[in-house]
Amino acid sequence: MTAPGMGDFISGLLHPWMTPTHLIILLALGLWLGQRVPLRLGLPLQVFVPGAAVALALTNLHWVAVVPPPLLVAMALVAGAVVALEVRLPASAGAVMLGAAALAIGLDSGVETGTPWAIFKTLLGTWVSLGLGLINAGYYVSLATERQKKWISIGVRVAGSWIVAVSLMMLAFAWRKAHPG
Amino acid sequence: MPPKNALLLRRLVLLSLLLLLPETVHAHAEKGTIGGFVSGFVHPLTGLDHIAAMVAVGLWGAYLGAPAMWLLPVIFPMVMALGGALGVLGVPMPGVETGIALSGVALGLMVAFAARPPLWIAAVLVGFFAIFHGHAHGKEMPISANAMTYAVGFVMATGLLHLSGIALGLLVKWPWGRVMVRATGGAIAAVGFGFLFGFIQG
Repeated sequence: MTAPGMGDFISGLLHPWMTPTHLIILLALGLWLGQRVPLRLGLPLQVFVPGAAVALALTNLHWVAVVPPPLLVAMALVAGAVVALEVRLPASAGAVMLGAAALAIGLDSGVETGTPWAIFKTLLGTWVSLGLGLINAGYYVSLATERQKKWISIGVRVAGSWIVAVSLMMLAFAWRKAHPG
Repeated sequence: MPPKNALLLRRLVLLSLLLLLPETVHAHAEKGTIGGFVSGFVHPLTGLDHIAAMVAVGLWGAYLGAPAMWLLPVIFPMVMALGGALGVLGVPMPGVETGIALSGVALGLMVAFAARPPLWIAAVLVGFFAIFHGHAHGKEMPISANAMTYAVGFVMATGLLHLSGIALGLLVKWPWGRVMVRATGGAIAAVGFGFLFGFIQG
């Protein structure tokens, strides 16, 4: 996954933002976090960030299976639906959603080649990017929703419905690709 | 007219100019990331029947006021994508073109007659027609296009058409605007009838 010409850390930092399936999950989770005001960062800090660290570390153990892209898209679909329907999830369900996303994205961000030090720097960059990315997304959305403007919270729900729509279409495309004819 | 209203009117007119954008887009690339986005974005804009129905959803929503104004554009993309998925998977659906034409007729007439049914009826009606639109788009999706960027472009274009309809629909704040919005609904219904009886070809 290392991009040529870039430092290993920067390459890892950019990875979630250059992988569409990761990006769409982060966006959906960020919308979900920001939708619930006041912003609560306990779950992402206690579940998502450590979960991503564990999953990224596991990518160095070769027994870890490849995460099928449709699974990642399905996660985005669920998170998008939660945002679009403005579902008030219990904390345990939120933790499961964040934990599953952290594991799936982390396991899907493995580095195939390079020295151990280069791989470590790349994975570290990815981990920092995932954590900061999710918290930032949630923070900026919450800044908007805390203004108590009705149209902003509706805009967030519309964005969630768009994520559901895009995810549904992607799942259908993946199915057609796997079953041609 | 108070300055605040004049400013709002000016913004609405500028926003409604978005409706003219389809005429300026001529892209045929269907490969790669950008090609997928362009193909997806252009697709809903290439059929008058689709455009008319999407704008009608926004118009009707604006006419019904909150929460319908925002709820319908939340429901439509999700149900449309479901229809799109059925189209991509090749699940047969009878009367797709008739359903699309009827959506223009029904939604246009709702706006023209300023119908105000309960919210759930409006949502079910819009959702029902969204499946036909989605199925048609999904069935015609080019195999070579990038799946994600195609879907993003497709959903964004649909959302912007709704927004155009909502922007036009906000003119109901003025008496002359109310007449204009209802007349637009009538025109959309006429376009729907044109497609239904074959006077207008897609």
